[in-house]
Amino acid sequence: MSASTATVGRYSGPKLQRYLVGYLFILPIVAFFLTFVLYPFARSFYISLTQWAGFGVPRFVGLMNYQNLLDDPIFWQSLRTTLVYTVVSTILQTILPLLLAVLLAAGWRGSVLFRTIFFMPQVVSLVVSGVLWQIMYDGNFGLINEALKGIGLGGLAHNWLADPNTVLPAILVVSLWQSAGFFMLIYFAGLQGIDQTLYEAAKVDGATKLKELWYITVPMLRPVTAVVVTLNVLGGVKAFELIFVMTGGGPNHASEVLGTYLYGLAFGSTAGAIPVVGYATAVSMVVFVLGMAAVFLQFWMTRRARDV
Amino acid sequence: MSSTLQQATVTRNGQAEADRQSRRRYQTKRGIARTIGYLALTLLSVGTAFPFVWMVLTSLRASNTVFSEGIIPRTFTFAAYVQVWTQVNLPRSFLISLWITGATVLAVVFLATLAGYAFAKLDFPAKRILYFTLLSTMLLPGTAVIVPLFLELKQFNLLDTSSGLILVYIGTSLPFAMFLMRAFFETLPAELADSARVDGASEFRIFWSVMLPLAGPGVATLVIFQFMFTWNEFILANTLLQTPDKLPLQPVLLSMQGQYSTNWPILCAALVISIVPIVVVYVRMQRQFVQGLTMGALKT
Repeated sequence: MSASTATVGRYSGPKLQRYLVGYLFILPIVAFFLTFVLYPFARSFYISLTQWAGFGVPRFVGLMNYQNLLDDPIFWQSLRTTLVYTVVSTILQTILPLLLAVLLAAGWRGSVLFRTIFFMPQVVSLVVSGVLWQIMYDGNFGLINEALKGIGLGGLAHNWLADPNTVLPAILVVSLWQSAGFFMLIYFAGLQGIDQTLYEAAKVDGATKLKELWYITVPMLRPVTAVVVTLNVLGGVKAFELIFVMTGGGPNHASEVLGTYLYGLAFGSTAGAIPVVGYATAVSMVVFVLGMAAVFLQFWMTRRARDV
Repeated sequence: MSSTLQQATVTRNGQAEADRQSRRRYQTKRGIARTIGYLALTLLSVGTAFPFVWMVLTSLRASNTVFSEGIIPRTFTFAAYVQVWTQVNLPRSFLISLWITGATVLAVVFLATLAGYAFAKLDFPAKRILYFTLLSTMLLPGTAVIVPLFLELKQFNLLDTSSGLILVYIGTSLPFAMFLMRAFFETLPAELADSARVDGASEFRIFWSVMLPLAGPGVATLVIFQFMFTWNEFILANTLLQTPDKLPLQPVLLSMQGQYSTNWPILCAALVISIVPIVVVYVRMQRQFVQGLTMGALKT
């Protein structure tokens, strides 16, 4: 790190020139930042304090939208679903990729091919993943049900995405399929950094593979795990795109998360008919606060990981 | 690994025979464990790949055989591809996607290289504060700004135009891109720039003639990453573009989902066509691809 903050106040000629060049280099990115991040965000905050249909003049109503949120059962339901989805997907997508990475790191012939295959779902768009799995889950002729019938479990076959009890687990499976390869690679990169002599010492002491995993690999990977958990939590709070494609939040709000809820309010079929743009933006502010909470969680976790 | 064991056998001669036996036992045990591990990996990768295999198989069916011939069709036909190519006008949206992606990648690479270099190698007041402010927006959930972005483009008369979408893509991609390029420029030695400075080269000259030629690998990583992100993005594209004729690939796939919900061969053919460019790029440039993704995650 060569980030020395210069002492302000002694700007000689060449130094001043260098400062100016630095500012010139970052000018475009700052301009974009102001136009497409800071300004919309500030405006978002203002709109959430108004009643507005998206055209005409917004009517300032203070915290009314936020008060209405508290009485909105669908809001609470989608908040709960968001949190459940986030917690479950984080647990699954932290533990399984770690095991996968440890398996892969044993140095197999063809490990590059394995890695390529595991990473494939990450490369295609979420529209592709969503549409593909939606027809695989199809109640009548989907691959999942065909396979269940094939192994004699035809009794389990049903319309996975249309049943409120199975819709979330079904989407979580897709999420795992989609992202496991990515988190596996992060762990894999982390594994390369572990000092091999630790394992050699453990071997001499007669440690089993499981003990090695638990007493060496897991503790040494703690900083990497912190990153994986953070990315998962952020992804969970954003858990929106896959659900948007696969179910649109249905059936009957069973897979509704904050993202699909606010999107439906702002751009859905009723958008423009009822003045809910302000209300939708208030929901998006809640998403933002949750996202920020996740970021602080990250700082806290990485700090803890360093202290240990 | 076995060198410690060897040392042990050399140093403790009396124990050599016992050691050899235990090692043999250990190796058979290891052989079994390896077989199980290999089987597990094979099964998991087959499971991961199978949806794609099924997608390709389904796209090669005649549309009337989906519900009658089980998982693997008995006859193969390219009819669905022909239909997608002509009826849905997929080529048009394919070209639109290429244009949007290409323009975004070019702009992002150019601007992020400048900014990344400045944050890595130049010195100016408030540098750290600026850097972290820009970086922190990387963590904003996209849904939190989608409504105001929509309103903003409407205000500037850029709604439903590809240039509006490109501008939004550039704005939202730049923080991460800058982060990636900065991480890369950090790895280049400062001596090069210093000696050029001693020779009296201007800062711009140093960047252009000394540093930029060395930035190849970093730029390659960013190009691939940005290509993948832009090609696959669909929420913003779906929201900020509305005229059917202007839609890039992903929103078209989304609308096909409703339109052809029971015609799986057509749906799957469209999906296959849409992933061809990205799979080609991925397979050919896997190293940078993986490097870019893990670099972003681990170098925080």
